[in-house]
Amino acid sequence: MAIFLGPATSPRTTEAFAQPVRMTGPEGPWERVREAVERHGSVVVHAQLGDWLPRDLEAPGLRGLLGRDFARFQAMTHPQIRARFVASRLLLKHVACAVIEASPESVELAYKPGGRPYLRGLDQIDISLSHTEDLLLVGLTRRGWIGVDAEAKDRPMLGLGTENQVCTPYERRTLAQIAEERRNAALVRLWTLKEAYSKAIGQGMRFRFTEFGFGPQGRDVQVLRPDGSPGTGEEWTFHTCLVDRAYTVSVALFDAGFGDTNDTAAATMLDAGLIEALVSGDGGTSPEPREPRVPDGPGATDSGPHVAGPDRPRHGPVPDGPRHGPGPEGPRHGEPEGPRHGEGEARGG
Amino acid sequence: MHTVEDLIALANQHLGTALAPHDAGAELTELEDWDSVHLLRLVALLESELGRPVPVAEVLQARSLRDIWAVAVAT
Repeated sequence: MAIFLGPATSPRTTEAFAQPVRMTGPEGPWERVREAVERHGSVVVHAQLGDWLPRDLEAPGLRGLLGRDFARFQAMTHPQIRARFVASRLLLKHVACAVIEASPESVELAYKPGGRPYLRGLDQIDISLSHTEDLLLVGLTRRGWIGVDAEAKDRPMLGLGTENQVCTPYERRTLAQIAEERRNAALVRLWTLKEAYSKAIGQGMRFRFTEFGFGPQGRDVQVLRPDGSPGTGEEWTFHTCLVDRAYTVSVALFDAGFGDTNDTAAATMLDAGLIEALVSGDGGTSPEPREPRVPDGPGATDSGPHVAGPDRPRHGPVPDGPRHGPGPEGPRHGEPEGPRHGEGEARGG
Repeated sequence: MHTVEDLIALANQHLGTALAPHDAGAELTELEDWDSVHLLRLVALLESELGRPVPVAEVLQARSLRDIWAVAVAT
């Protein structure tokens, strides 16, 4: 059984995603990003770190661009970590602001307890961030939730003991049927799909990757139970492609039924209180965004994920309630803002 | 393996990282040569080295190599 990397062939998947857009700098052009969101409701943008790295990391304007992230940035000591941090935040903010038609300085990035980034006060836009090597990757949707992940396509993963940590029994059987020279790439694809899905549902790597799986490329990709039977419905769409001929990029998208939210301009999406807070410089008074109700996800039953029930949110504003209820591995008390390992934006994951 | 420095040496030997002993307490997200693939591979290495399962869920909560070490030796 062959697992190919390449554009999705499913009409449903093709409809959900435009091809990832390469963005070489803050100057744009941003029309393709806006067009993708207008047509598909979602966009994936990739960039090279060097294109988004300011020449002067001590420039005064950086404080305003990074907002609350500036203090964290200042505390970083490793040059590469600092570079990746600032470049990825600038890309993420510019993508979001191209869509909502606002200035990067006016939008605040914040982080969920698990480290997942979100746009403060813009509940109907969901974002995801990934980076590996010099690749930066941003996903944005107004349809529900999105998770993106990137990994070097030839990164050695096979035969290093990770299959047992990553794959379901069904996936291991499927991998064994793939020609040896393509098996590692297939495992990288599975890895990025699982990372993307985990980011979309907000659990990072805290769900065991052996509790949910994916089938081969070339058919509708959906979450599978460990035995290979279907685990989610059509609300979820997945896509894997190659970027820069070097990186496997996967996207997971949950359609929460916000498809009719065509107007994403900040002027009509931001609530009045937040605008007032931003204008006054008091960005900390806005309430935390509400999250959608939880879709049935991995680990929902002993046998793995199952198809969501009829109470999945389909229309209207984002309802109250956590994306996932606090489990036995919930956020630690007093955890500072910022990504946790394996969630939100872990490099290559 | 007796110390977190042994864990760091194990990672460097098998994962190709260039971690230093003083990285033991650093945030994993701020280590130059570290990512989620490394983490899973390290779990597999630890299980092989220690000869017993390492609780992945607890390792995933770790914020530093020292935290990972603490989880590994507590099992």
